[in-house]
Amino acid sequence: MNANVDPIEYFFDKEWSDGLPVVVPTAERVAAMLAGTRRDPDELIGLVPPLMAPATVQAIAQHAVMAGCKPAYMPVIIGAMECLVDEKLNLILLQATTSAGAPFLLVNGPYADEIGLSGGMGCFGPGFRANATIGRALRLIMMNLGGGLPGITALSGFGGPWRYSYCVAENEAESPWPSYAATHGYTSDDNVITAIPLEGPVLVWDDASEDHEHLVVAIADMMSALGGGNIYRQADMAVVLSPQHAEVFAKAGLSRDDAHRLLIARAGRPLGEIKRGGLWRGESGTKRWPFKINLNDDTAFVPAIGDPADLHLIVAGGSGSPSSLVMHGITIASRAVSRTYAI
Amino acid sequence: MSEASGFIDPSAKASNSTIALAPRPSSLKGLVVGLLDNRKEQADIILETLGNALREHHGVARVVMRSKEHHSKIASSSLIDEMAQEVQIAIAAVGG
Repeated sequence: MNANVDPIEYFFDKEWSDGLPVVVPTAERVAAMLAGTRRDPDELIGLVPPLMAPATVQAIAQHAVMAGCKPAYMPVIIGAMECLVDEKLNLILLQATTSAGAPFLLVNGPYADEIGLSGGMGCFGPGFRANATIGRALRLIMMNLGGGLPGITALSGFGGPWRYSYCVAENEAESPWPSYAATHGYTSDDNVITAIPLEGPVLVWDDASEDHEHLVVAIADMMSALGGGNIYRQADMAVVLSPQHAEVFAKAGLSRDDAHRLLIARAGRPLGEIKRGGLWRGESGTKRWPFKINLNDDTAFVPAIGDPADLHLIVAGGSGSPSSLVMHGITIASRAVSRTYAI
Repeated sequence: MSEASGFIDPSAKASNSTIALAPRPSSLKGLVVGLLDNRKEQADIILETLGNALREHHGVARVVMRSKEHHSKIASSSLIDEMAQEVQIAIAAVGG
């Protein structure tokens, strides 16, 4: 590099950026970043498809610097990377997909709070360094080590703002229920990261429904939207309830499991309705459904969630906001992965 | 690492190895041809049509049809190895 060249501009020219300026990964900054983990810099976490370049701890630290992370974020980033290279997540799909999906990162446990990873008001951004930069570090790794460059191997027709960073904590403090991690077999002391392959979030605003029977209607309707995909094919889905919406369910005596069951029971459409268009491909498209219905009965109820494990129910966002988010899934070929991470 | 430039090069380092292309036969006559269905809608129809044409017009001895587990998953090593054992040429199809 010519000494007169601004290194930030150089990183743009080399296509080592997500389109925003990066922090230049000097040897000093990378060494400081590596102090945030006990892991050996040469340890290989995994190969990043489709280019299959090695994501070593050192390479991860380098991208954490570029993304603007603090060293304390390293355990979360490494944990997330371990999720991304898990065969079950099938990262090559998320890299090459023509949809707009991305690995959504949910963090549970006490460490999230220690590093300022927000699950509260405005947690999907902007405004929180940990949320913005942890997800960004992973995206830069997917681009630089995985080769996921738009139009080359990243074939998403639109892309999306959630592809810059898609990382929140659960709002455990304001949730009326045990955490997402607790319902998946972890303890409240465990630091857990979950990567879920999802499309972008859609807001469900409802400040009119005062009881759970009314509140569930619009959320379930969005879950089963014909444009969302889940109604036609099995995939993960996340519903993120604000603390205020979660409280409506809790106030009626519903546990987290009860709310989970209620959403699944209500999210669906009559077969005749989904046959009108969308991803309906006749009988061939129904072969992978994890349930059986009579395909000649147009009044039969088609659930958006065929297997209860496909619905990830999360509480996040600010109290005082009567809204929820629905994030539809992609396909059965890319599935959610959870694991604990060590500090 | 490019210390002289004042920063560590973040680009991928893995792609130095190259894989040679398999030799291309000059004729298909008498060969066993593998067809890999990627499981997209109608890929099987495209490949069956192609297989028939190869047999009828190009003297292909036999066509072996295999399918991936899912269109969004890469073909497993065992599937690729199995096809490599049995066929001299393999063709993959993307359906609509």
